[in-house]
Amino acid sequence: MAKVYRSAVIDAPADVVWTYVRDFNALPKWHPAIATSEIEGGLPSDRVGCVRRFTRRSDGGLLRERLLALSDADRTFTYNILISPMPVANYVATMRFTPITAGNKTFAEWWAEFDVTSGPEQVTVTDIGDNVFVAGFASINSKLAKH
Amino acid sequence: MTKVFVSAVVDAPIDQVWGKVRDFNGLPQWHPRFSRSHIEDGLPSDCIGCVRNFDIAGGGGTIRERLLTLSDLDHTFTYCILTSPLPVEGYVATLKLFPVTVGNKTLGVWTAEFRVTNGKEADVVEAVGNGTFGKAFEVLNEFFASRR
Repeated sequence: MAKVYRSAVIDAPADVVWTYVRDFNALPKWHPAIATSEIEGGLPSDRVGCVRRFTRRSDGGLLRERLLALSDADRTFTYNILISPMPVANYVATMRFTPITAGNKTFAEWWAEFDVTSGPEQVTVTDIGDNVFVAGFASINSKLAKH
Repeated sequence: MTKVFVSAVVDAPIDQVWGKVRDFNGLPQWHPRFSRSHIEDGLPSDCIGCVRNFDIAGGGGTIRERLLTLSDLDHTFTYCILTSPLPVEGYVATLKLFPVTVGNKTLGVWTAEFRVTNGKEADVVEAVGNGTFGKAFEVLNEFFASRR
């Protein structure tokens, strides 16, 4: 089982960040690698169990992910991958947003556990950690930063 | 039940920050609000259940706190107040550190829950929140900045 964990400071209040990212259908709005997204079956994007169906900007690759848990109290959600062009299986990931009271900012965490099904494990771990998670944080920060 | 939540980024890697704050007997060595500390009954300061006995600087009185949990894996410890000059009861607090991987820094989160038994709740929240927890993160940042 491979694990990846990334975290960063976002220069905006936690409630602002959470309002922005809690929408499970909003990836194209804030992640530079994602082109389109829809929730299958016309379900609300905060209905636990719903599936988002989205495509990568680089190659049109299709991903389907299921929302497993969503908590407004803890500003966190967890999802797993159903279909992906990435060489992973048993992929479960969580995002969590914690207030930083000193400066009224947000501590953003994103982590995942999965099996790598082909190629060197470290390549996939670094790709997801840096090109998916850290790139996502940087994009959220650039859209919401106060300064 | 009153809750206090204070968090701040400390500009140092998590192992360094944890190395500084982990010693349950070491508070007066880095927090200016406190002086003198010993662990009662000669126990090691990382022995769960041990009691630290320390003073508020400037003659503010003695506090006794019991270590309830300590995790080097999760960089966290929890303790409760046994006796204190503060007008609180049922006081349980937790300090937890998280790695900020972008920039190799640390997020410190310090929380407490308690009941205020006397006086203004806002005054107690201020003393615990900014006076103790917030001040701790400030001095930790100053300490690590001075070593760069």
